[in-house]
Amino acid sequence: MSGSLRRLTRSAVLTALALALSVAEGLVPLTILFPLPGLRLGLANLVTVYALCRLSGREALLILVARCLLGSLLGGNLMALAFSLTGGLLALAVMALALRLPGLSLFGVSIAGAAAHNTGQILAAMVVLGTRAPLVYLPPLLLCSLVTGAVTGGASILLVHRVPFSGRT
Amino acid sequence: MRSPAAERRRPTPWDAVVALAVVAFAVVLIFLLRPTQGSAVTAVITLDGETVAQYRLDQLDQPETLTLNEAPYPLTIAIEPGRICIDHSECPSQDCVHTGWISRSGQQIICLPNRLVISLSGSEAEEFDAVTG
Repeated sequence: MSGSLRRLTRSAVLTALALALSVAEGLVPLTILFPLPGLRLGLANLVTVYALCRLSGREALLILVARCLLGSLLGGNLMALAFSLTGGLLALAVMALALRLPGLSLFGVSIAGAAAHNTGQILAAMVVLGTRAPLVYLPPLLLCSLVTGAVTGGASILLVHRVPFSGRT
Repeated sequence: MRSPAAERRRPTPWDAVVALAVVAFAVVLIFLLRPTQGSAVTAVITLDGETVAQYRLDQLDQPETLTLNEAPYPLTIAIEPGRICIDHSECPSQDCVHTGWISRSGQQIICLPNRLVISLSGSEAEEFDAVTG
């Protein structure tokens, strides 16, 4: 199988996985336990972490954008798309940087990513509403991102070690 | 991308630094957004950037309801002396209804699908950045 075909297939499988994870997560919303708008576990972020660690930044970006676009077709709307894209892109950028820092593990990377995602979502909400009102939700969301980031970080460590795609394409 | 983080299996002290940085950011935000003091509480209801109603919660003497049928997802707002909540909304997420009653200045109820914001402010300081210094 040629290298580009293999890359395409790999990205497509990961996109499908990310979509499935975010739909599955939507079935059991954390907001039932803790009523905070925008609170989610962020399972789809696992795929972003995996793609950043085992593939490349470019593929991680493509998978993220494809996931957000397809996700909004599946049951969201344009506003949901704006939210997931802003949060996702900010998280991707922050995690790509954090992965270059020498001292961190995937726990720290995921927590930074989760916090960045929440910040991005709130920024998008502020732009959509045209007021600073949503900022009130950011501190509790940030505190929650410590937990959700640590959980997805632990899961991503398992994923990255158990599924080591060969670096050769 | 080759990254040392990808190869580690255990958390490092630097992870704790990241977590602390997030906590510090949250604490600073809480401090900056802390509610203004004052007995007077005004509820301002804005729909898509336009103010549609305004209530002095401290001067209200009987419960009222406000139905906004012109919103994308029609909703009913319950207003009682000292507090306000979204009683019912047709919106898909229901986050606004789950927020429940709010009563202190600085608190908000947001219904994103409707682009609706109910915000409470004190009489003296309207904006929170007026007090940060």
